[in-house]
Formats: sequence, structure tokens, C-alpha cells
Amino acid sequence: MDTVKSSVTFDIRTKPSGKIKITNWNKSKVVMTGTLLVLTLLSMYGFLTFDYKEINLIQATLDTLANLKLMFLQANLNNFTLAEAIYQIGLTVGLAFLATIIGAVISLFIALFAAKNLSPKPLANTIIIFIAFIRAVPTVLWVFIFAIAAGLGSEAAILGMLLHTVAFLVKAFAESIEELDAGVIEALRASGANWWHVVTNAVIPSTMTSLLSWTFLRFETNFTVAVAMGAVAGAGGIGFELFMASGFYFDMKEVGFITYAILLIAVMLEFMSTRLKKRYIVKS
Amino acid sequence: MPLLEVKNITKQYEKDKKVLSGISFDVNGGEFISIIGPSGAGKSTLLRCINRMVDFSSGEILFHNTDIMSLSKKDLRKYRTQIGMIFQHYNLVSRLTVIENVLHGRLGYKTTLQGIMTRFTEEEKKEAFHLLEKLGMREHAYKRCDHLSGGQKQRVGIARALIQQPKILLCDEPIASLDPNSSKVIMDHLKNISQELRITCIVNLHQVDVAKHYSERIIGLNGGQIVYDGAPQELTTTNIHQIYGSEAENLILA
Repeated sequence: MDTVKSSVTFDIRTKPSGKIKITNWNKSKVVMTGTLLVLTLLSMYGFLTFDYKEINLIQATLDTLANLKLMFLQANLNNFTLAEAIYQIGLTVGLAFLATIIGAVISLFIALFAAKNLSPKPLANTIIIFIAFIRAVPTVLWVFIFAIAAGLGSEAAILGMLLHTVAFLVKAFAESIEELDAGVIEALRASGANWWHVVTNAVIPSTMTSLLSWTFLRFETNFTVAVAMGAVAGAGGIGFELFMASGFYFDMKEVGFITYAILLIAVMLEFMSTRLKKRYIVKS
Repeated sequence: MPLLEVKNITKQYEKDKKVLSGISFDVNGGEFISIIGPSGAGKSTLLRCINRMVDFSSGEILFHNTDIMSLSKKDLRKYRTQIGMIFQHYNLVSRLTVIENVLHGRLGYKTTLQGIMTRFTEEEKKEAFHLLEKLGMREHAYKRCDHLSGGQKQRVGIARALIQQPKILLCDEPIASLDPNSSKVIMDHLKNISQELRITCIVNLHQVDVAKHYSERIIGLNGGQIVYDGAPQELTTTNIHQIYGSEAENLILA
């Protein structure tokens, strides 16, 4: 033991109590721990100072559970037929699909100019900052802004979703493109290929997988956004029916049915995208 | 008249830190030149000045008596088609097939639309297969490039450069990532190219004995300056000491 001790004592740090330290308190660790501590204190303060309005907690929990039971164990349609429901779901998927496809095409073109390895830095930075502003505003707000011009409805919803989709995908696409090996671009440039040649022959084939997976991801997001848009912005579709069932008819059973339908579609989309990726994209 | 005249070129990325200073040499058609020197001596920068992937700060490079700094964008593309380049890391598009990668070498001759639609003529495709055959890669033509070994990738790189029908081949450490066997295959191919096709090869190398064995002329760089320019037979240990700044006995020359 003595020999080991003598050879390594020079860099062993000890606590004031004399025990050996094993953590290294650098700046980021201090910040992380501090943040966690503050959040914990704030949560405790929040719970202690809530205005509970004399709710009987047990009764309230039981009522909620009863509602949930109605929703999810006795899901049923009352105000419209299954065919109608399917049609409405189709409408919602359609909204999401349109916003995603148009958005992806526009994004690809903008992303080429937003990627720092293909475009001059000032231009790329300008685009990135500009779309960051667009992204910072929630989709719903954009829909309302477009509703001023287009009226509340599916047109405004698609325009709003489209704008947000573009803002999201440009950033995602540009980052995928920037991951491309700079040497490949150099090799083509050195052989006399021009900018468009590099894009179509090297950039697109190399990044296709990630471009498509980002688009699928956005499609899934857009589906849930489209549900919300149906409810708030009157874009129609299953979201509107959900809104009517919950806020107008107070029909818990129907809310349950619609929730299941939305869940089913979301799972199907996820399943499809995984299959497509496996089958057509990752061929190696 | 030399094919390429490099006259007193200087390159600095930052103020008062010259990567290249006062580099001058002439290159004749069909020459096989090795450039040796320690890392950071400016070998890669020098090669990239020749095809203007890097713009040098002062001096001039004449190709067939034309100043390459005066070329317009369109003429620069045309000029680059005459200069092939191969790389240490091959720089192939790994998701595409071998033959597609070889044909990329023809993009310099295409209009924007032809390039986007990947319209290659039957002659170009035949030539691509012919080159692959000569490099022993014929049976891999439809394989994706990420399925190839390093030596095979480098041969695809060579085919991509040759299909440009270049006058000069710039090779940036072509064997630095390869095992001794593949290295020999690649160096033999390069030697053949310069002898049979009379294409000038300018090769950056780390291995002094490889440079001595293959090249007709060695240029030694140190600190951005030429410290040796001559035949490989005349390269003495004193020269090597000048180039690498340490005793030759302390170097792994292989």
C-alpha cells in the first residue's frame, strides 16, 4: 500500500474532511446542479402556495377517474357515424400532408442557401436567424395571423403550418447538409463541377436519408398540430369534432373514441415511416 | 515551353504567417514529381494553389502561358477540368455506385442542366468502364462506394480524375491511409499514368523512400519554402535533414 500511495499522492484531491474527492466541480457541473436545486425549490413553493379553492381532493380524483373510465373504456360515437369519422380523419391527415410536402420542397431550396458549406456565411446566417424568428412564434399564432387575410379555416391553417414547417425543416435540412464531408464537395469543385452539380450529385444523394427522416418526423408533428388547428382555427377535420364533443356536447364517450382514432393514426404513421426508411433508404 | 510555371507564389491565411513563401518551379508534360516535407510545410496548400481551390496571395501561376488568377468563373471551371485531383480520404460520394462516382469527373464539361439531370453520353460511360477495367475495378462498377476497401476507393478516385482527360494529376497524400500493398498498387498506377498517358503527376508524399523510388524529381518543402528541387538520386541525407529538420537516422523513412 505504501508504494502505491507514494507514487500517486501528487494529484489526489481530498475534501476538507480528508476523504478523497472523485467529482470535478467545473463550471458546467455547478450550473447544472444550481439549476436543479432552483427548480426543486420553485416546485415546492408552487405546491405549497396553490389556491386549492376548497376542492375535495378525493372526490375530485374519483370524478376524474370516472370521466376517464367513460372516455377510454366506453368509447363510442353518438353525434356522427364511423364513415364520417374516417372522412374527418382523412381531412386532418390531408392538412398535415399538404403542409409537410409543400413545406419540404420549399425548405430544401432554402436550406441549400442556409448551409454554411454551400452558401456564403452572411447569407446562411441571415436565413438561419430569420427562420429562428418564425419558429419562435407558435404555429397557432401564425394560423391566426393568416386568418386575418384568408379567414379562419383550412386555408389559414395550412399557410400557418406551412410557414412553421419551413422554418423547422430549413434548420434541420441545413444542419444535415453541413454534416456532409467537406472533401466530397472539394473533389467535385476541383474537377470543374459547378454549384448545382455539387448539390444534385453529391449533397442530395448523401443527405437523402436524413432529409427524409426529418420530413417524416415533421409529418407526424404536423398531424397532431392539424388536430389542434381543427379545434382552434376551425380548419375542420377530426380536431373540430373533438372540440365539439368535449366543449359543446360534453360527450366523454365520443372524446374517448376520437382520441383512440388519433392515437391509431399516429401509431400508423410512425410504423409506416419506420418501414419506409428500412426498406428504401438504408439499403446497405 | 513548360506546361505549368509557378512563379514566386506566396500564400498567407493570417497576417505575417506565411504558409507558402516565394515558391517557384516549372513543370513539364509527363513529369512525375513528388513533394515531400513535414506536416504543415504547405504541401497541401501548394497543390490547391495549382487548381485554385486556394487563391494565393501573390505571385503567378501560368498554365500554357495563361495566368490562372485572371481566369473568369467559366474559364476557371474549364481550367479545372484539365487538372485531376485525388485525395488521401478519396472523397467519393459513398452512397452512390462506383460508376456514378467515376462519371462525376465529367461534370466539369457539362452545362448546369445536363449535370443536374446526370446526362452522360454512351461514350463517356464506355470510357468510365474502360478506365475501371484498366484499374482492375471492372467487376465492382455497380457496387456502392461504402462497400469498397481503401485501396479500391483510391482506384475509383483515380478513375474519376482520369475521365476528366487531365493534363496534370494532383495527388494529395494518395497513400497515407493505405496499407503497404495497396500503396504499391496505387503508386504503380500513378507511375503508369505518367509514363503511358504522359499526364504530369504531382504527388504529395510522406514516405521519402517511396518518393525516391517512383519520382523523376523531388521537391522538398519546409516552412513554406522550397529547400530541395532535383533528382531523387541526388537527394542526400543533408537534404533530408534540411527538409525534415532532424537527423535522417531519427526518421522512419519507409
